[in-house]
Amino acid sequence: MSAAPPPPQVKSFHCPNCGGPVVIRGFATTLSVVCGNCHSILDAKDPNFAVLQRFQAAERIEPLIPLGTRGKIRGDPYEVIGFQVRTITEEGVDYSWDEYLLFNPYKGFRYLTQYQGHWNDVTVLRTLPEVTNGARPVAKVLGGTFRHFQTAEARTTYVLGEFPWQVHVGETVSVMDFVAPPRMLSSETTGSETTWSLGEYITGQQVWQAFQLPGSPPRPVGVYENQPSPFGGNLKEVWLWCAAFLLFLTLIAMFFSTFARNEEVFHGSYSFAPHANQEPSFVTDVFELKGRTSNVELSTRTDLTNNWAYFNYALINSDTGQAFDFGREVSYYFGRDSDGAWTEGGQRDTAVIPAVPSGRYYLRVEPEMDASAQGVGYEITVRRDVPSISYFLIAALLLLVPPVFWTFRSMGFEQARWHESDYAPASGGGDE
Amino acid sequence: MRHPFYLVFGMALLGLVTTAEYRGWSLTSVNEMKNVPKSVRDNPGAYRAHYMFYPRHIGGK
Repeated sequence: MSAAPPPPQVKSFHCPNCGGPVVIRGFATTLSVVCGNCHSILDAKDPNFAVLQRFQAAERIEPLIPLGTRGKIRGDPYEVIGFQVRTITEEGVDYSWDEYLLFNPYKGFRYLTQYQGHWNDVTVLRTLPEVTNGARPVAKVLGGTFRHFQTAEARTTYVLGEFPWQVHVGETVSVMDFVAPPRMLSSETTGSETTWSLGEYITGQQVWQAFQLPGSPPRPVGVYENQPSPFGGNLKEVWLWCAAFLLFLTLIAMFFSTFARNEEVFHGSYSFAPHANQEPSFVTDVFELKGRTSNVELSTRTDLTNNWAYFNYALINSDTGQAFDFGREVSYYFGRDSDGAWTEGGQRDTAVIPAVPSGRYYLRVEPEMDASAQGVGYEITVRRDVPSISYFLIAALLLLVPPVFWTFRSMGFEQARWHESDYAPASGGGDE
Repeated sequence: MRHPFYLVFGMALLGLVTTAEYRGWSLTSVNEMKNVPKSVRDNPGAYRAHYMFYPRHIGGK
């Protein structure tokens, strides 16, 4: 029976350079430690804590998560023991991000990275990814396929706390990032040694909750390389629902087209001469509209040429006196000018009267024309319960609006993501 | 679906279209009148429809 391990103890000493207090929280794993006072990097394994490097920071950087802060990441307690700033330079512009080294004596190390309010929870991979090189390299690991995002030289520009390696300001590594949002695969190569790590995007709010930090995290700026798209996950599902709705819409249209009464209930032929000295209005014979409350389609077919006629219609229930008044203009013009032949309007018109109850009806018709017109011959046809395609077309268009809108938003998001990569359109570095 | 907006939107639209088609709704502007006298059948000229006073188009290019 073995005794329980003694609780870990924090080790402290005085900086051999400035005499300031230095604390080691990472126990035997710590190889170098930075004096918080004079920024000397000390050899944690040396009995006298020899100074490995002195660096002059242009400005003192306060980590967003202070060293020594404890929090829970994925259910396990961790303490922030190290902090470094790393920088890449692209086209003369420096891009810096923060790395927080977290330590749990039983779980080991993990990292939190932060760039412009975007956070990643990073662990070192123990599995070697399978990298396929080509115009656009791809890495496969842990069942995921990661697309190459960028390759850059990163240098360490600021350090605080302690590290399980001999940290040096100015140290340079070659970094390759592969992304499969919300995950990111990174390799760091120094000489012949390559380390792979896997990051997962987390929100600043999650970090603040994990470490019980006061205030609120900095707001994310822009789109980060492995930031999950707020549209991407849902987009496929939305399009599937869109297809399902369009299918249902088609089935409903087919149903009404098949089972609508679509019955001709009246047809009459008439003529009108505006100069005739007689009352233009007249009523038709009574006809019956059967079935449920439904529409009535009234078609007017004329023999107009280069003229117009206006028809005042009233569909009147002979029993109840309920009337549906409406007017329709029919005009048809044609000719030829410098642009060639032209036509305007047509000789036919169709109106659909909505929600007409069943019953016995007649039409009151009152045509009008220009007083100088020769006259017009016309036919009136009334049909009951006519299927209409217009609502289905409008509904189909409306159904397409959200998916199309979200697709464009998603494309914009992905464009912003890849704009920062080696494959940005302006850089011409990709095959897309 | 994480955000059921589209689901609700689509189902509401299908319901609306079905109702519109079943009830025979139309985009045509129609003025509904009550209690039109039966005498209109004998004297159609006495009836003055709502649309009598709308402006007329005198067309042609």
